[in-house]
Amino acid sequence: MSKPEDLSVIGRRQPRLDGFEKVSGRSVFTDDIVLPGMLHGRILRSPHARARIIRIDVSKARALPGVKAVVSNVDAPDMLFSEKQPLLAKGFVHYVGEEVAAVAATDPLIAEAALDLIEVEYEVLPAVTSLRRAQQLDAPQLHEWAAGNVALTHEKDFGDPDAAFAASDLVITDEFRSPVQHNTLAELHVALADFTNPDKLHVWTPTQGAPMYQMALAKAFGLETSQVRIVYGNVGGAFTGRGRAKPHHFIAALLSRVAGKPVKIKATGDEEFIMFRGSGETQYRFRTGVTRDGKIRALEADVTFDAGAHAEWAMILWLPAPYLNWLYKVDAVRYRGRFVYTSTVPKGSHHGGIFGRLSAGWMQHLNHVAEELGMDPAEFHRKNAIDPGHHALDGSDFASCGLKECIDRVVERSGWKAKYGKLPPYRGIGIGIGAQASGGKNAANDTSAAMIRVADDGVVTLYTGIPDMGQGSHTVMAMITAEVLGVEPEDIRIVGGDSDITPFDWGAFSQRGTFTTGNAVKLAAEDARAQLAGIVGPLLGVAATDLKFAHRRVWVRGETPDATGRSFSFREAIGKAFNGVQGLAIMGRGSFNSPRPSGSLAYSFGAQVAEVEVDPESGAVKVIKVTAAHDLGRALNPLAVEGQLDGQVFSGMSQVLYEECRMDGGQILNPSRLEYKLPRTYELPEVEYILVETIDPYGPFGAKEVGEGPIVVTMAAVANAVANAVGEMLPQIPMTPWRLLRVIRHRRNHGLAPAD
Amino acid sequence: MLLPEHDFVKPATLAEGLAVLRDAPGDVRLLGGGTDVVFNMRCRLLTPDTLLSLKDLPELQGIAVLPDGSLQLGAACRLTDLVAATVLTERYPALVKAFRAVASRHVRNLATLGGNLCLDTRCWFTNQTKEWRDAKGPCLKTGKDVCHAIAGAPVCVALNNADSPPALIALEATVTLASSRGERRLGLQDFYREDGIRHTVLEPDEILTRVTIPPTTDRLVFLKETARQGMDFSYGAIAVRADGSGATASRLRIVLGSLTTAPRLLAGAAERLAVLGLGDDGLDAACATLRDELGPLTNLYSPAAYKRELARILLRKAVLELREMQA
Repeated sequence: MSKPEDLSVIGRRQPRLDGFEKVSGRSVFTDDIVLPGMLHGRILRSPHARARIIRIDVSKARALPGVKAVVSNVDAPDMLFSEKQPLLAKGFVHYVGEEVAAVAATDPLIAEAALDLIEVEYEVLPAVTSLRRAQQLDAPQLHEWAAGNVALTHEKDFGDPDAAFAASDLVITDEFRSPVQHNTLAELHVALADFTNPDKLHVWTPTQGAPMYQMALAKAFGLETSQVRIVYGNVGGAFTGRGRAKPHHFIAALLSRVAGKPVKIKATGDEEFIMFRGSGETQYRFRTGVTRDGKIRALEADVTFDAGAHAEWAMILWLPAPYLNWLYKVDAVRYRGRFVYTSTVPKGSHHGGIFGRLSAGWMQHLNHVAEELGMDPAEFHRKNAIDPGHHALDGSDFASCGLKECIDRVVERSGWKAKYGKLPPYRGIGIGIGAQASGGKNAANDTSAAMIRVADDGVVTLYTGIPDMGQGSHTVMAMITAEVLGVEPEDIRIVGGDSDITPFDWGAFSQRGTFTTGNAVKLAAEDARAQLAGIVGPLLGVAATDLKFAHRRVWVRGETPDATGRSFSFREAIGKAFNGVQGLAIMGRGSFNSPRPSGSLAYSFGAQVAEVEVDPESGAVKVIKVTAAHDLGRALNPLAVEGQLDGQVFSGMSQVLYEECRMDGGQILNPSRLEYKLPRTYELPEVEYILVETIDPYGPFGAKEVGEGPIVVTMAAVANAVANAVGEMLPQIPMTPWRLLRVIRHRRNHGLAPAD
Repeated sequence: MLLPEHDFVKPATLAEGLAVLRDAPGDVRLLGGGTDVVFNMRCRLLTPDTLLSLKDLPELQGIAVLPDGSLQLGAACRLTDLVAATVLTERYPALVKAFRAVASRHVRNLATLGGNLCLDTRCWFTNQTKEWRDAKGPCLKTGKDVCHAIAGAPVCVALNNADSPPALIALEATVTLASSRGERRLGLQDFYREDGIRHTVLEPDEILTRVTIPPTTDRLVFLKETARQGMDFSYGAIAVRADGSGATASRLRIVLGSLTTAPRLLAGAAERLAVLGLGDDGLDAACATLRDELGPLTNLYSPAAYKRELARILLRKAVLELREMQA
């Protein structure tokens, strides 16, 4: 890793600044907060996958002593959760678990008892509980506006795909499926709403960012955005699962408004699996056209998503279209996507977004293409990989790009050439590549802002809206601030997670934290430094721009840090500003937004090689080693980067091999941490980290994202390694023992390799 | 997910406990470490009027070697204590492996031997929260004559997922059941019933007080197949005990766990191995008996076809391991 002389904090292996608070149990999470007079909310959910509501009678529940509020659709008849979705079921229910009514009571047991007293009469209607069934001609139509149960479609051609396929020597098609998967957040869903003052709604909740929550709640309750305050101190994981407010946020606010008391709603263990909005069943058909010498001419992906009962998260439908353009130099790309209604929980996405699960199939397909051509897949990827300066068909520009270097280095470090095709039976090696955008403009702006206040004792306070969801973003923001001001990360206090206090920041999604908020923080720190330099420069007899800030000192550039009369300690310098003629309180501000009209400014790239061992007797897979190279521009905190890689290798492996919501009639059969089989840390393989630093021109100190790019690649590499071990592409994740045994037995019965 | 209201009784002696069990009105539930019962109460699968705590009863404590060489384990022994007991680790390493296979250290610090032996059967249509079950509708175990796992099943087919019974049954352990009427002792294999609702023969007024393992110098192997290492119920488990050494054995006991409603003693496979030896021929012959010996299997937690495969895999692995062991 390069660590140029002029950087003193950036590039350091900095332990988390909040690490001690976390491990000593002092960090406050939403459920730790208890407000005076707080009530406990519970939600009555639909027991039917599809039914007409004939009657709701809440009178008995309302009469129960201790019950302070009971709400159903009649209390908020026009309140929508998504475009065509009432917040509380109106006339119909469309999935098991849909919100029908809710209560708030002085005690959780009373709230639970009150749920039993709400009488709901249903007329059960035929339901559609699988993606396959939803697409059959005779399937019931679930919503009057959705013929064939298709909620939305997205079709996009880049270049001339028909011509490019026609010009190809070989065209290969493969199909793939991924299941319902849950984000398994460490902190269960919880919201505490205080709407006792009708002009101000306070909501304490874990979130990936306040603005989306503020906007949605403000719209629902007829408030201005600033009348909604979101407080999100510590966030126990998100993995795309906390991007937007969920029904329980609205319901807690509604109950609080009715009861005139703060109301907390927290998920029970299995309710968590109803509230989650993780990824749904997805069907993929990939088609690729290549020339005989291995050049990709055309790429096509056709993806059918299970939207669940309501199309809440349409964004995942159009995300694959640009992504298909980011890795290879191709003549044309075609994307066909559709969102299909089923009578199941509305879906969103899981760790890795849509890209991870797509890659588990797409990269197996592309390796299949390479092998059909008789090419080494690593060479195939490299031959077609894009270079820096590439202008993609979707309009994306890649100022920095280390894709080829990532491929070269994982091939070398993993011993790929000595292993690929040469391992013993049921040992497998697989390669995957991927890309990820650092932020992206999906609204009028993609803005992050930051403020810095320097106290007269030299303590620096950074105000940022970026949540620390476990990824260590606050530590990195402190490092950026410290680097610019020439102090140490420990000198920075972070005030975060309160939309009434912290400046605007969309939050931590689309991999925008380090890149976008990092740029805003850097600008704010530079602003503060410039103010300080304006005072200190004249005192030291030099221009403000001739000062060097580092090691808690300010001195004349080119001289020694402690030269008498030519330097100050940082604290002395602040004293000069604060107690000088101007009495200047230093306050820096920064606001960053991509100058591009849409899309992203920077893209990171990665390549990984996974090695696995499949037990042909039991079908169990052991991931032995993952060699992971990631072009992240610059590693601001290599320790945190390695943590990100470990976490993403773990989660990627987990999604490919373990995770699946087993469904039955629209209900999840395994809605618990016990039965939703996540691996444990024992299963984490050895991970070798290769950090490729391409120093992006737009990133703060050259940094790009490392928050989601690696998992996308892990899923590809592990899937390919298992396919390599058993001898054929696996059409489905997770690759459980029983699915692998079926493939192994089939191949043995037909005399197909690997022979043993 | 809060605990329903209930009375809590902690007797000082076994006699006092048995009297409570006989005389207390309503439904009384025995409580060991509570790792299973408490969670089932949170799910409203159990709503006892009274919880009778057994974990500190003096009569249910201790690990002792009897004059005849038998090993006697108190039912209230915590699994953590059994795992650490020298007399066990030296003489019954495979049994210790089975105890250690239970859940995690945190759970084993609470869980008792008696509790693990009495662990309720499990089914993913039943072991859910009340709200979940209300949506699905009740089943044989929760008050209707419907089985969601196997349509038309006459009895509950929930699985016995406990880790310790297979090894103890292989060792021909006996359990002592006490009541205010007296005491009876029976082989652990006879303790279990092929009924997921009344899955043991324990009468409502009885308490399992101790486990006795007769002396033996036989070899014992225990294996458990799980999705992940630790903190998990098994997809399948096996205990195989054999006399002799290497590939020869004249007497075997093979017990499969977690695949069926009661731990399954495989007499046919044991007989094949005793006759043909532990070589590949014996193993193939033993595996060939599995289909008949197992009978129909459920799709609970893993597909039936996989369970069938797993029985074969476990038997093979266990016998291969056994072959490497001397008496």
